[in-house]
Amino acid sequence: MRTILITSIAFLAFAFHGVAQDAREISDKSSKVIEFEAMEMATNLYIYDNKGNSRERQVAVATRKFGDVTKTLMRFLSPADVQGTSILIYDYEDKADDMWVYLPSMRRTRRIVTTEKGKSFMGSEFTNADMSRPNLDDFTYTLLGEETINGKICWKVEALTKSREMESEYGFKRRVSYIEKSTYLIQKSELYDRTDKLNKVMTLGDYRKQSNGLYFSYQMEMKNVQSNRRSEMKVKSFQLGSKLNENSFAVSSLEK
Amino acid sequence: MNTNEFITRYRRWLIIVPVIVTLLMLFPLSKGKINPDLMDYLPDGIEANINNEKLEEIFGKYEPILIIFKSDDILSSETLDRIYQINNELKYSELVDDVMSLFETKYIRGDDGAMLVDPAIRLIPETNDERDQLRQELRDNPLAYKLLVSDDFKYTSIILNANEGVSDEEIFDFISTTLKENPGNEAVYLNGLPYLRYEVQAKATRDIAILMPLGLIIMLIFLYLSFRERRGVLLPFAVVIMSIVLAMGLMPILGFDFSLIAVLIPIMMIAIANNYGVHIMARYQELNAKNPDWTMVQIVTESLKQLSKPILLTGLTTIIGVMGLIVHIMLPAKQMGIVSSVAIGFALALSLLFIPAIMIKMKKGKPIKVYTTGKKSIIDKLLKWSARVAVNTPRRVIYIFVSFMIIASVGISRLQVSINLEKMMPQKHSLRISTDIANAKFGGTKNINVLFEGEIMEPEVMKAMDRFETQLEGVKGVGSVTSLATVIRIISRSLNDPDSEFYDKIPDSRQAIAQYIEFYSMSGDPEDFEKLVDFDYTKAVLSVQFVASNIDDFNRIESSIRELVDKTPSATLVAGQCLVEKEMANAIVKGQIYSLIFALVAIAILLWIIFRAFSAGLLGSIPLLVTLICNFGLMGWFGFQLDIGNSLLSSIAIGIGVDYTIHLFWRLKYELSLGRSYAEAVQTTLVTTGRGIAINAISVIIGFAVLFFSGMMILKTFAFLIIFSLLLCLLCALILIPAITILTEPKFLLKNGKSVNFIKD
Repeated sequence: MRTILITSIAFLAFAFHGVAQDAREISDKSSKVIEFEAMEMATNLYIYDNKGNSRERQVAVATRKFGDVTKTLMRFLSPADVQGTSILIYDYEDKADDMWVYLPSMRRTRRIVTTEKGKSFMGSEFTNADMSRPNLDDFTYTLLGEETINGKICWKVEALTKSREMESEYGFKRRVSYIEKSTYLIQKSELYDRTDKLNKVMTLGDYRKQSNGLYFSYQMEMKNVQSNRRSEMKVKSFQLGSKLNENSFAVSSLEK
Repeated sequence: MNTNEFITRYRRWLIIVPVIVTLLMLFPLSKGKINPDLMDYLPDGIEANINNEKLEEIFGKYEPILIIFKSDDILSSETLDRIYQINNELKYSELVDDVMSLFETKYIRGDDGAMLVDPAIRLIPETNDERDQLRQELRDNPLAYKLLVSDDFKYTSIILNANEGVSDEEIFDFISTTLKENPGNEAVYLNGLPYLRYEVQAKATRDIAILMPLGLIIMLIFLYLSFRERRGVLLPFAVVIMSIVLAMGLMPILGFDFSLIAVLIPIMMIAIANNYGVHIMARYQELNAKNPDWTMVQIVTESLKQLSKPILLTGLTTIIGVMGLIVHIMLPAKQMGIVSSVAIGFALALSLLFIPAIMIKMKKGKPIKVYTTGKKSIIDKLLKWSARVAVNTPRRVIYIFVSFMIIASVGISRLQVSINLEKMMPQKHSLRISTDIANAKFGGTKNINVLFEGEIMEPEVMKAMDRFETQLEGVKGVGSVTSLATVIRIISRSLNDPDSEFYDKIPDSRQAIAQYIEFYSMSGDPEDFEKLVDFDYTKAVLSVQFVASNIDDFNRIESSIRELVDKTPSATLVAGQCLVEKEMANAIVKGQIYSLIFALVAIAILLWIIFRAFSAGLLGSIPLLVTLICNFGLMGWFGFQLDIGNSLLSSIAIGIGVDYTIHLFWRLKYELSLGRSYAEAVQTTLVTTGRGIAINAISVIIGFAVLFFSGMMILKTFAFLIIFSLLLCLLCALILIPAITILTEPKFLLKNGKSVNFIKD
């Protein structure tokens, strides 16, 4: 999991104009310009079932890159039962992530090992794969055309997984993204399952310009059109950079 | 206008109208809907069903289909490859809601300070070392061992649940195609209620479609051999066919679906409807032989004169016997009662109007040998013999019957209601084999679910579920108990070291439980708990899987569950398909008992009124009682269990049994009115009217005998029992009732009331 969470929801408002580009280039550019070195935010995660019942999670997130390793710390603020539960993720360039969880009720830290990115993120419709930047080489890209989404002219780019392994790792067979031409901001992604049936639709909105010229999406929704469940992520506060030092991202600091 | 004039005047109409009615009934017949799911017909008040529906509302419909694979070693790469392919094809099908198998279940464990959550089989092993390692892992995995793989690693199963709205036919077509497209050496067996339903519908309807016509043909041949006249065959047979068409056509008209029970309707009509016609034919032959100078009109008129009343009465009593079903608790039994009583009425009318209308214009047939020459058929010889026995040794006859009845009645105490629906299938059927495997290797095929309500994450509730698990796992027959508490324990084992105070325990605080669950959700699927707990953690289900080969085992396990439920405030509801089945079986049997009591009393009263003597009601009820007691007693002795089909059979038996008695009484009365002695009357009655009774009974018996060729156990036992019942009714009519008559010389047979006046002229 590379740079969990932030990378796919943050995009550079980097204007490319005029040049005819192929699909891979578009994806590559929209992916390359979203590297955040560090940030902190508080976000609410709403999980709805198909009957409209909801669960809410408040999470504080801090991310910072140290050398080749991007370290992310997440802490539950609510609900009360899980308040203080923390997750620490080390995202390496060349090997599988490390992940630790701290459970305050037991004052214990445990490592979690899981191989699949297609797994749910905190029990929501988002997957761990949605929270990280995908590896460009895992997909074959095709430009399907142009379409207007919410008044924005977008490229319609298809990313098809190259193998069955990738498919099961990411949890989808192909993804069709609508990338705004002028800003390279993804407006919407459609995820198709193994049988090539539409499974999930992710919508990104409320992009806000940050002090360094980057845009950040404050609102994401993932709807599972097959199970009719959906999850929403709303960013309550966002701050570029992080004051936390490397010690704060150490496993031992979790229990403090 | 007398009968003769009426028939002569309206002859054409009496032929045309029934034919048109029959043809018209063919139209609605094609629009009939088949609904093999007996659960749909349960009355509203059945508690287990209400509970099941409540549970389905919360956790979705869950009707698991099991695919069991058998191989020398399930972990061989060949076998696992095949199962993996099949697993994936099922999983990604639009017809399937979810799939559970070794490739889907999780392996959660703690390892070197880390919790690992993986599929139980991550990679298909290729070397023996890898295989041994996987074997050990599976043994250590409580989510797989003895649930999805047997302890000897010879069996594994894929469990799937079809999407709502997918028909049994669609899903099983798909499963069988998938299995065919992925061939292998492993034997594959299917199990689950949907499979049973599918097989019953497919096999039962196919068997009935093939065997019923065959049975009818055999019946035709027998009728021909008995009457030696084409009309003797075709006319009663036409009545049977026409009344079957009417009965079945009425179903869609009245808005009834064809249920599994509806297949009994044609069977019942065959047994009952040919009765009336056969008696008319037998009487025509008798009169034809004895009065060579009579014209056809004279013969028909005289036959009708002698028979219209007893036939009308037998019809009426049969209708009343069958109407007993209308008070039955099960809707299909009620429906069967309604349409078959109408159809019997139709058959009655056809026999008294349609048959004579055709016969009066026919040429006279050759007089039959029985009455002209001394040559006797086997039936005639048997009738002579029975008359001799009844007249000469009536006491012995009664002793034999009584002792037989006593022996049989002891069997009633051994009679059990069937709780294992798969027993309907033949021994070697996939469903029987897979049930045996599931019972021996996977903890059983029965499932009882307990609903817990409240704050599920509260330790009190979670510990209650855990207590259920530990206590029930000690109950004999219980294979597995699963709930959210199982998973919490697994998490606690993987999260804590064995020497920790938290290891293998339900935590004492709500926060810790919540955090365990949150912790799990970081590596599992959100759907992992979907079948165990609802979205907001206020309702959870605990599922008990067990083996019960008979009702006693079942009741023992059920009551240990209910005892725990009574002691646990958060356990609010007990549900399960097997409880519905049990309650349904009980309802059917209870319903049948009510129907039988109603029919017995009604028929006794009717006989009392007809013959104006209480003793007639009493005497007439004897064959019915004998048949019922012996029927149920024999079932007990042979280990046949009462099921949906055979419990309704007693209504048919009553309907038929009473007919024989009425015909017998009527003829006896007639013979006695001619001034004969009881002994003479009995002898004449048995060789004349007795012949009609015997031909009727035997033709139906051999017709039913073809059901022995059916693959379905339910049809075989049904055939066995109905044949046995008919045989008993026949023996009662031909031996027991004559013997009692000889001994008691009942007065009502001597009375010259109005009812027999016509015979004198």
